[in-house]
Amino acid sequence: MEKSSDFMLYGRIQQKDKAALEQLYDRYEKILFSFLVKMTEDPDLAEEALQEVFIKLWRGTGEYNESKGKFTSWLFTMSRNVAIDLIRKRKKPMVPLEEIGDLVNNESTVEEVAEWQEQKEQIETAVQELSGEQQKMIQLFYFKGYTHEKIAGICDIPLGTVKSRIRLALKKLKKSLHGVQERGAIDD
Amino acid sequence: MTKMNCGHVVDYLNGTLSDKEIREFEEHLKTCADCQQILELTGELPYLAEPIEPPAEMKTRILANVFEEDAGREQQPEPKTAAVPMAKRMPKRNWWPPLIAAVLLLSLLGNAYAFFQLSGQQEPETAMQEVNLQPNELFEGAAQAKLIREDGSLDVVVSADGLEELRGDEIYQVWLLKEGQPIPAGAFKPNPSGEGAAYFSLNENTEGWDTIAITREPQAGNELPQGDIVLSSEL
Ligand SMILES: [Zn+2]
Repeated sequence: MEKSSDFMLYGRIQQKDKAALEQLYDRYEKILFSFLVKMTEDPDLAEEALQEVFIKLWRGTGEYNESKGKFTSWLFTMSRNVAIDLIRKRKKPMVPLEEIGDLVNNESTVEEVAEWQEQKEQIETAVQELSGEQQKMIQLFYFKGYTHEKIAGICDIPLGTVKSRIRLALKKLKKSLHGVQERGAIDD
Repeated sequence: MTKMNCGHVVDYLNGTLSDKEIREFEEHLKTCADCQQILELTGELPYLAEPIEPPAEMKTRILANVFEEDAGREQQPEPKTAAVPMAKRMPKRNWWPPLIAAVLLLSLLGNAYAFFQLSGQQEPETAMQEVNLQPNELFEGAAQAKLIREDGSLDVVVSADGLEELRGDEIYQVWLLKEGQPIPAGAFKPNPSGEGAAYFSLNENTEGWDTIAITREPQAGNELPQGDIVLSSEL
């Protein structure tokens, strides 16, 4: 349901329907902003990235179609690439490695009930099933946008193996997530 | 050509493939469950982020900038820390090639916009007037002028297209007129596609202009028009 309505909104946006862009904005503002802040660690830069994302949507740059998978996957990947561009351009020095933080923030307040609480719990549980190195890999690659060279240096692995290790870590995580979701379905 | 396979999924996510490679990878994607799953995962990973309440005014700012950007065509999104417009430090009379004028236009509009935002609910001290110049019967081109008032200065940005080609030293000259008395207000030569733009800044005598006009002058630097008016509008 949600997928088709995203796709419908996207179609209307391509017809320059401002109300449709606003609806899509309302639907994804919070998750995109939270995601972009996690990536950039800078709310101002996250806002700049979010604006760029909606400019791209409005202009129709990098068109979405169903061969690109789910709309949200495409939207998140596009947003991630915008953020990586801005992170690499920013004047501020890179955050020191010790301060990069973990893939999962263990200090998160338990009281807070996110709109996406269930999704969040599931993916966090799945992350716990990865090795420490795999978690670091996903944090550096996916959220921090580090180059393969930097990842090779930080994780002390040969450059030539970075891509396949990222791929394996993602694959493992997807498999774990699938397992978590199945168990969740049974518990219900 | 490299055959697209599972090894390219990371490049696909990073947006480092060419358009052709993207299409090839998407072909691979149709038949590869592994890559499909990795792609599905990217629809879930952002939920690892700690939920953060977006700033209250962010939606207004972003949507205004998105639609504004679209209205301004070539205008780029301005970084929030936009520099002071170069215009203020420019010599009083000058003309630039279209590209530079276009860049200045971006900077000006961006600043005018930023200024609106800073001034909040107050009456903005920046005012912008837009006019379309009408061609005379024999002329084909079209032009638009923006007059931006800010801090006691008047900036004039003209952009034109469909212009007739010039010969020799000829130039398109912009004029501001007050009761029939003209002053030169920027000049330009069109690019090969017939597009041109001019930028001009006045720091005194900014009030009371009633007409803007473009003539085709035999050479640059005329203080009074020699050529015919090709485009004009009342202000
Ligand atoms: Zn594959």
